[in-house]
Amino acid sequence: MRALAIIALALLLAFCISQPEGVGKREKVVIGILAPLSLPEGSAQEKAARIAVEEINARGGILGYRVELVVGDDKLDPTIGSAEFRRLATIEKADLIVGGFSSGVMLATMEVMAETKTLFLADASSPSHSAKVAENYEKYKYWFRLQNNATTFAYDIADMVKMLREHGYDVKRVYIIRDEHIWAEDVVKALKPLLESLQVEIVRDVKIPRNYAEYEPLILEAERLNANLIIPIIALAGTGDILVKQWANLKPKILIGGDLLAANDYGFFEKTGGAANYVIFTADGGTLITDPITEMGKKFVEKYKAKYGHYPEAHQAFVAYDAIHLYKIVVEEAHRNGEKDPFNPDVLVKYLERFNETNPIILTRPIAFTKNHDLAWGDNLTRNLISQWQDGKQVVVYPKNVATGELKFPPWIK
Amino acid sequence: MIEFIEFILFGAAIGGIFALIASGFSLIFGVSRILNFAHGVCFAVSAYSAIFLIKELSLDVYSASLIGVAMAVLFGLLVYAMTKPIRNNAVMVIIVTLAFALLLEQILLLVFGNRGLTLTPFVEGVQVIHENLRIAKIRLIAIPMAIAILLALDLFINRSMLGKRIQAVSQDLEASMLIGINVEKVFIVTIAISSALAGFAGILYSQIFNVYPAMILRVLIYAFAIVILGGLGSFRGSILASFMIGYVYLATMKTLGAHWSEFVMLITIVGILAIRPTGLFGVRE
Repeated sequence: MRALAIIALALLLAFCISQPEGVGKREKVVIGILAPLSLPEGSAQEKAARIAVEEINARGGILGYRVELVVGDDKLDPTIGSAEFRRLATIEKADLIVGGFSSGVMLATMEVMAETKTLFLADASSPSHSAKVAENYEKYKYWFRLQNNATTFAYDIADMVKMLREHGYDVKRVYIIRDEHIWAEDVVKALKPLLESLQVEIVRDVKIPRNYAEYEPLILEAERLNANLIIPIIALAGTGDILVKQWANLKPKILIGGDLLAANDYGFFEKTGGAANYVIFTADGGTLITDPITEMGKKFVEKYKAKYGHYPEAHQAFVAYDAIHLYKIVVEEAHRNGEKDPFNPDVLVKYLERFNETNPIILTRPIAFTKNHDLAWGDNLTRNLISQWQDGKQVVVYPKNVATGELKFPPWIK
Repeated sequence: MIEFIEFILFGAAIGGIFALIASGFSLIFGVSRILNFAHGVCFAVSAYSAIFLIKELSLDVYSASLIGVAMAVLFGLLVYAMTKPIRNNAVMVIIVTLAFALLLEQILLLVFGNRGLTLTPFVEGVQVIHENLRIAKIRLIAIPMAIAILLALDLFINRSMLGKRIQAVSQDLEASMLIGINVEKVFIVTIAISSALAGFAGILYSQIFNVYPAMILRVLIYAFAIVILGGLGSFRGSILASFMIGYVYLATMKTLGAHWSEFVMLITIVGILAIRPTGLFGVRE
């Protein structure tokens, strides 16, 4: 009996020694999702996170610990977002928080992140987020973006103009319609010099509030101002479908192409009653929802469809899914390298930073970080793919290395 | 010239819809002295019901719209029932109707989400007026529709017996009771008409633009501001103010930009009220 007790004690001791510091104290791994849940961009994140957590738990969790998902709704409000981040980090004791959508909310939640030193694998697009990391690395280093920085939307829109010219459609005058919001401000700020270098004139730059729906006068004005291209930079207004319907209804001799978040939605064609045909858009986050570019992306979408009966409602689903898998990868890597506490955010920051432009990790998209923790942009990394709705299907038309079809022009234009 | 015609037509459409909303709000206040802060509920419920019926039960747009307006009337009567016991306490009425509006907003948010939804228009397509002026047919149709409904309402109030009773109650409640007018019946008819007007405005608005849960409060702000501008309780004042505000809204959008339109609209109202506190057609009591 005494021998048995000694063996049990020895085994217990051995177990404690083999478990890194921080591991032995825990019972589970808690992952928080913070997103605007009444929006498709938010609900898609939660649903995708559930799939990732199920997959990880089915394979034994992270270092043997079961993963538990806790959810917070930021309601697109910086105050609520901050309070919910704090709740997830302090009361729910989340090891990782994934999510965000609004850049304004992100700015507020980053402060709570810094205070609670919680690892935050985030969405949203304003360059002001990564600028914080650049300004005060120690404070904001826990933040990593798995979504493209808004500046890259400008690069992609400029490439869209070049691509249209290559197809014989000479873009000289553009009419911008954009969200009255920090993220769109950042895109336009980066876009203006790019368009200038391409000798493209911005005939008007219209800011629209949330739920704005009076597009007809704007389209008619664009026509009167002889614009060749209407560039929508619209996400939060939430009325991209109405813009497209009114454009298709009026049939102006102007193409529509830009960062139109709603067009990323798999149901956009149906929602617009087919008016989305020929609309050019950037597939934000580096993947088409209906036709992902990697094997992992394709499998994820199939699982999503099987579980929820439809494609992901928004590309943010890929962000959340990748974030959770990436977390598991870096925790396990830290553990393999003998880190005392592989769940420690300060430790994990170093492991996440290893995925850089020369060393991307391929998940549903190639994930690599810049030195300021932005998602790295490039043809072989993650860029907002220039895509088009064609007869009910989303088709990548640029860059050529991932293109799935050729650009088509509306019959009333060419 | 083309731009001027475009301005007139677009302003008339939005002004007509504002007038449908505001005239109903004014009517309730004029007759029962109730500030119905749940007026926007009828607007939203009507549009959401029609959208739901078309999407889920494949109803045609006309039947769905009719049921939508009926739902608006039903919710209007619910507000009547809720406010009846507290009608003499104006503050309580405001609190209860506002709470009801906020509750409905949250319910719509949970059921339909925060994204705007559009209703299939009565008529699809575009009317070409000039090479540089094409206008969606539904927007063109909304103008005579709104005007016809407002004229019919004006005729009803001024010519029919029930309309005259409504006028009598709005002028003097106690005297109306003394001469044997069934005041409760007048209240019920008034709130039903007012809710139907808001409901129909919701149908038209969601066919041209879109509807989203926050519209409940936004509509209330429009209605409240327009009615104060027109003169509290003045039916014709509300209609004139609606068109004025519609044009101010559009002019701001075209000159200063879309994001200024509501700000300038509300500043205009405040400015006019500073000069004429009783509104355009209001009288000092």
